[in-house]
Amino acid sequence: MLTLEVVEMELPLTALREGESGVITSIRAGFGWGKGGGYGLQKRLMDMGLTPGTKITVVKSAPFHGPIEINVRGYRLAIGRGMAEKILVEVQK
Amino acid sequence: MTEKKLKIALAGNANVGKSVIFNQLTGLHQHIGNWPGKTVEKAEGTLHFKGYTVDIIDLPGIYSLSTFSLEEIVSREYIVDEKPDLVINVVDASALERNLFFTLQLLELETPLIIALNQIDMAEKKGIKIDLKRLEEKLGVSVVPTIAIKGKGIYELLEKAVEVIEKGAAKPSVISYGEEIEERIRRLTEALGKIRLKYPARWTVIKLLEGDEQVKKEIYDLSPEILQTAENLAREIEEIHGHPCPTVVVSERYEVAGKIAREVQRILPRIKPQLGERLHEVTTHRVLGYPIMILIVLGIFNVIFVFGGYMSEFLNGLLYGYEPLFEQLFGLNPLKEIIWGGIIEGVIANITIALPYIIPFYLILYILEDSGYLARAAFLTDTLMHKMGLHGKAFIPLMLGYGCNVPACLGCRIMETERERLLTGFVVTLIPCAARTIVILGLVGSFLGFYWALTLYVIDLIIVFLLGELAFKVLPGEPTALIMEMPDYRLPHFKTVIKQTWFRLEEFLKISFPLIIVSGLIIKLAEIFNLLEPISRFLNPVTVTWLGLPEITGVTLIFGILRKELTLVILATLLGTTNFQEVLTPLQIFVFTLVVMLYVPCVATIAACSKEFGRKKAAMISLLEIILAISVGGLAYRILATLNLLEH
Ligand SMILES: Nc1nc2c(ncn2[C@@H]2O[C@H](COP(=O)(O)OP(=O)(O)OP(=O)(O)O)[C@@H](O)[C@H]2O)c(=O)[nH]1
Ligand SMILES: [Mg+2]
Repeated sequence: MLTLEVVEMELPLTALREGESGVITSIRAGFGWGKGGGYGLQKRLMDMGLTPGTKITVVKSAPFHGPIEINVRGYRLAIGRGMAEKILVEVQK
Repeated sequence: MTEKKLKIALAGNANVGKSVIFNQLTGLHQHIGNWPGKTVEKAEGTLHFKGYTVDIIDLPGIYSLSTFSLEEIVSREYIVDEKPDLVINVVDASALERNLFFTLQLLELETPLIIALNQIDMAEKKGIKIDLKRLEEKLGVSVVPTIAIKGKGIYELLEKAVEVIEKGAAKPSVISYGEEIEERIRRLTEALGKIRLKYPARWTVIKLLEGDEQVKKEIYDLSPEILQTAENLAREIEEIHGHPCPTVVVSERYEVAGKIAREVQRILPRIKPQLGERLHEVTTHRVLGYPIMILIVLGIFNVIFVFGGYMSEFLNGLLYGYEPLFEQLFGLNPLKEIIWGGIIEGVIANITIALPYIIPFYLILYILEDSGYLARAAFLTDTLMHKMGLHGKAFIPLMLGYGCNVPACLGCRIMETERERLLTGFVVTLIPCAARTIVILGLVGSFLGFYWALTLYVIDLIIVFLLGELAFKVLPGEPTALIMEMPDYRLPHFKTVIKQTWFRLEEFLKISFPLIIVSGLIIKLAEIFNLLEPISRFLNPVTVTWLGLPEITGVTLIFGILRKELTLVILATLLGTTNFQEVLTPLQIFVFTLVVMLYVPCVATIAACSKEFGRKKAAMISLLEIILAISVGGLAYRILATLNLLEH
């Protein structure tokens, strides 16, 4: 018998196309300020509202490996691509 | 009778309008503009109200009371250590949820608080309506609606602030977290027992669970065991929730903020996209964004060039017309020579060369800043900035540098790490500020044409980029990632634009005129006593042999360190004309301007640099730029002469 199943996938934010939404599952950044992320930046992201369980929508992705514009909690946020790769989201397809 | 003193601090997220409110209250002029992170240091002003002397403090915008960034440290330390009588939490009504997240932290800190619900006009445009009464009930603090930019609600805000201080604030609501966290808060509070830091117990405990380094350190100094307990409890929470404890705490606080926001606001979605939205789409478009950026920049320089050139000529004719009259009055004697040549000519040169360019320049730059375009430019240039080991936000101080390098140096604080601030500061000092633009447009633009002036800007950008890359090699390290709020576009507020332009102009006039008069006098006197020659002769190998300039330019270059436009003004004073064509060849005009554009930032910038980065680094930057200017100038002289592109 065939059952239609909702497949949930965990992807980096960069895998989303413009206009697609996902729910944050975790942010995989190390510790310390440097190294393209780090706890300081992770904390900053959370303080700006990117906590696990939050729905975010990708609005735009800049060319040349540029940053990503997202919509989160009703405002517009730009995130560098390196950081965006560390944000994991769950998408319902 | 001495008036009673009150201290009121303005705190809140970045770009919500704190500085506008501060300016309205105090009549001072803090930098305002439409991008996050303008105020980097606290500012104070006073006002008198109902028998009180009220100190108002403008704080840097922050998203959280943590201690990861400089702005957070400045704001938190002020609120915690100085204990103001009241904090006015300025809240952006159009992004309520994120703003409330910060409000909740102020409530946890138990600071006496009222809320200025600002930008309700912007919120309305987005279709957001907020129920003030409900919001007051939910938070247990007074809420005053304001439209700061139009001055609406400011008086009521002040009235309410004083009233609350007099009566004592009502008991604000306590936010409760989920049961798992609350239980651990209880246990940790018990463990804390009688130990008290300068914060309320609950706040201390929450911050411990949140992993706040500062609080952890303070507790560790008093009792390492409590820290151990905190870490154990945090691990328990982590096990239950599957996320690190700080993440859980922040998530739950956001959940509370979100719940309150949903309960008090109604959002009617707009059917037609607003003009601002469309503009945003076009100006950040993956293809169109870049040509638009180039067009904007070219357009700006063209307007300034055309308008400035026209005004300059007009004023020149007007003011030099007075020389014969002056001669008749004073006759031709040494006194006339000193007064006319030393003072008046300098003043005229300043009026005819500097003002025509500087006024439209400030005006346009400010309109650009207040519209919100800078944040878009930062978004577009992020990748480029990575090549210099920076990220897109660095583009903002860079753009500000075109106005003046001094605030731009301070603006480097929006960068996250020491290394990035220094790198940004270094490239910022290479950006031709308004004063250098006066020289570029007034000299090269007027006598060689717009395209030669543009060439200088392009050469400058190439140098900035190459040196930026080189500096990145010297100071390697992974660039931090860009995280930046992009505020909505705004129609720049006419009165504010005029006011800000005027303040900047006033500053310019206040410093430049006295300086020009004094330097003019010194030069005239030095000329009379034959002191200029030895100096010029000493610099001869550089100026004449290497750069191919007239010997006298050595003196002007020295004075130019005070202020860059002085090079031109003094040159005019020394040569006795602003028609530089008569005394300099086109090639000399070009090389002279190139050197002026690149050699050491002015004293004010050097001072700002040494304040931000330390004396040694400021000295190094200055020295490096002198060497750079002389090398590039000499090379340009030889290349252009060989190619015969400019008459020499
Ligand atoms: N439409 C509208 N714009 C406002 C209002 N209040 C402030 N602004 C604009 O909001 C922008 C930010 O204002 P600022 O006062 O510089 O913000 P700030 O909170 O001091 O920002 P930072 O110093 O960067 O933290 C400026 O462009 C202001 O003109 C308002 O009530 N309505
Ligand atoms: Mg401010």
